[in-house]
Amino acid sequence: MSRSLAAPGAGSAGHAAPAAYRRAGATLATEWIKLRSLRSMLVTPLLGAVASIGLADLASKNNAAGWTHLGAAQKAQFDPLAINFNFVIVGILLFGVLGALVVTNEYGSGLIRATFAATPQRGLILAAKAVLAGLLSFALAVVIVFTAFFTGQAIISGAHAPHVSLGDHGVLGHLMGTVYYMTAAGLIGLFTGVLVRSAAAAITSMFGLLLVLPLLADKIKPDAVTRHTVPYLPLNLGDEMLHHHPGLSPGTAVAGLAAWVLVLAAAAAFSLRGRDA
Amino acid sequence: MSAQAGTVPRRGIRVDSRLRATARSEWIKFRSVRSGPFALAATALIVVVGAWLLGDSNRGSYLAASPAGKAAFDPVFTVLQAIELAQLFIGALGVITVTGEYTSGLIRGTFVATPQRAQVLAMKALVFAVVVWACCTAMSFAAFFLGQSVLSPAKHAGIGDPGVLTAVFGAGLYLTLIGLLGMFIGVVVRRTPAALALLFGLLVVLPIVFTQIHGKFSSNVGEYLPGNAGEEAFHLLHGGAYALGPWQGLGVLTAYVAVAAAAAFALIRRRDA
Repeated sequence: MSRSLAAPGAGSAGHAAPAAYRRAGATLATEWIKLRSLRSMLVTPLLGAVASIGLADLASKNNAAGWTHLGAAQKAQFDPLAINFNFVIVGILLFGVLGALVVTNEYGSGLIRATFAATPQRGLILAAKAVLAGLLSFALAVVIVFTAFFTGQAIISGAHAPHVSLGDHGVLGHLMGTVYYMTAAGLIGLFTGVLVRSAAAAITSMFGLLLVLPLLADKIKPDAVTRHTVPYLPLNLGDEMLHHHPGLSPGTAVAGLAAWVLVLAAAAAFSLRGRDA
Repeated sequence: MSAQAGTVPRRGIRVDSRLRATARSEWIKFRSVRSGPFALAATALIVVVGAWLLGDSNRGSYLAASPAGKAAFDPVFTVLQAIELAQLFIGALGVITVTGEYTSGLIRGTFVATPQRAQVLAMKALVFAVVVWACCTAMSFAAFFLGQSVLSPAKHAGIGDPGVLTAVFGAGLYLTLIGLLGMFIGVVVRRTPAALALLFGLLVVLPIVFTQIHGKFSSNVGEYLPGNAGEEAFHLLHGGAYALGPWQGLGVLTAYVAVAAAAAFALIRRRDA
């Protein structure tokens, strides 16, 4: 670990392996350069953020506008936080697709072969990509969630409908839960991208797994099999975590999302070692 | 066009034989990549297994439903609903049939071999539509018969009942049109991720956005979205303010495909490959 490459007598030790932390740092730097130099990695998050926040504001405006005309029963059901964050059901797709693009872009262009030639420690590359994709997803989620919250609640309060503020009970937890859910979706996308290696397959999988399959599976009446599988789809876990339905506990839902990420990470690491680039 | 080939050797070949040759080369390209059989197999699996699962679970819920729920129960759409998931695979197949060629650079070889780009695109769409229509219609019939046999003794439909044959054929046509929509979007966008995001956004994200916005405008326009309108093709019962019938619904979807096709044919002739 403490072997220094900068020692004066380095000529004889020229082929010594670099220190692990140096290699990790260099790999992280490489992955960061590749990530920020992709135009799609700038355009997609920006467009996605604008669309998500716009949708949150539109739904807030639209739902709060009719507040004064609502009946008593509808007023009792009015949930300013849920209205504000309905967009999350489609918003997580942005994260799944972005995560997938981090790796499938590289397979598409063939750059992955040069990457593996430069750093044969494939697990290290996967870890670096996961760190960056996780940080990128987290930062983007924080921006989207908090901007959507403050603008959405301002719009709702502007329409004189009941609204919530950051200090209210459970609100910060809801927002951080949403950030966690979105970050998990980004990592699910990344590891799925490693597993399938093509943008088309990865993006199709994301739309299928994160949105269409759960919506379809929810229409199947719970029986012995579906009762123990359908609630564990990512969309349903996210829903359970954020809204307190009688079902799985929020803690189970948080752990369930983490399990998706970890299992896919293990599968991705395993397949990366054994397969051609 | 004339037979004086010896004196004017560079006059070119007859249109019909060129179209036949182009269709053959498009067919070779279609069947020689793995994604074609894979997407069709995934679609068949989802639609047929989905019909069994949906039929099985709805049999019980139908028998327990209220009279109003029983009246609103659509035995055909119920078992064919898995198409909502399968359409992702067919749409993606349409997209990568085109964008895959741009990514690999094969498109340049194709256009060198056949500089008549509109004819290339037309043959590509024709070959794709014929193969996808044949497979999807076959799996729609299989899913229908399997699903209805699982549904009984709950309300189920026979193939001879009014509107049923239209709905089962409509499901195959719907998937074919979704594939073509993906193909033409692929020509316009030329990049796999962007084309897929655009297609899936239109098909599955926009309808959800429209359900979140209340009001007359939103619910009326929502019926004319490509997926919502096209799905009327395999509904037996038609609800909603405008209540598009099966053929009107397919007509609306065809109009979207036609707009995408017009853009694709205009752009493919003018742009670099």
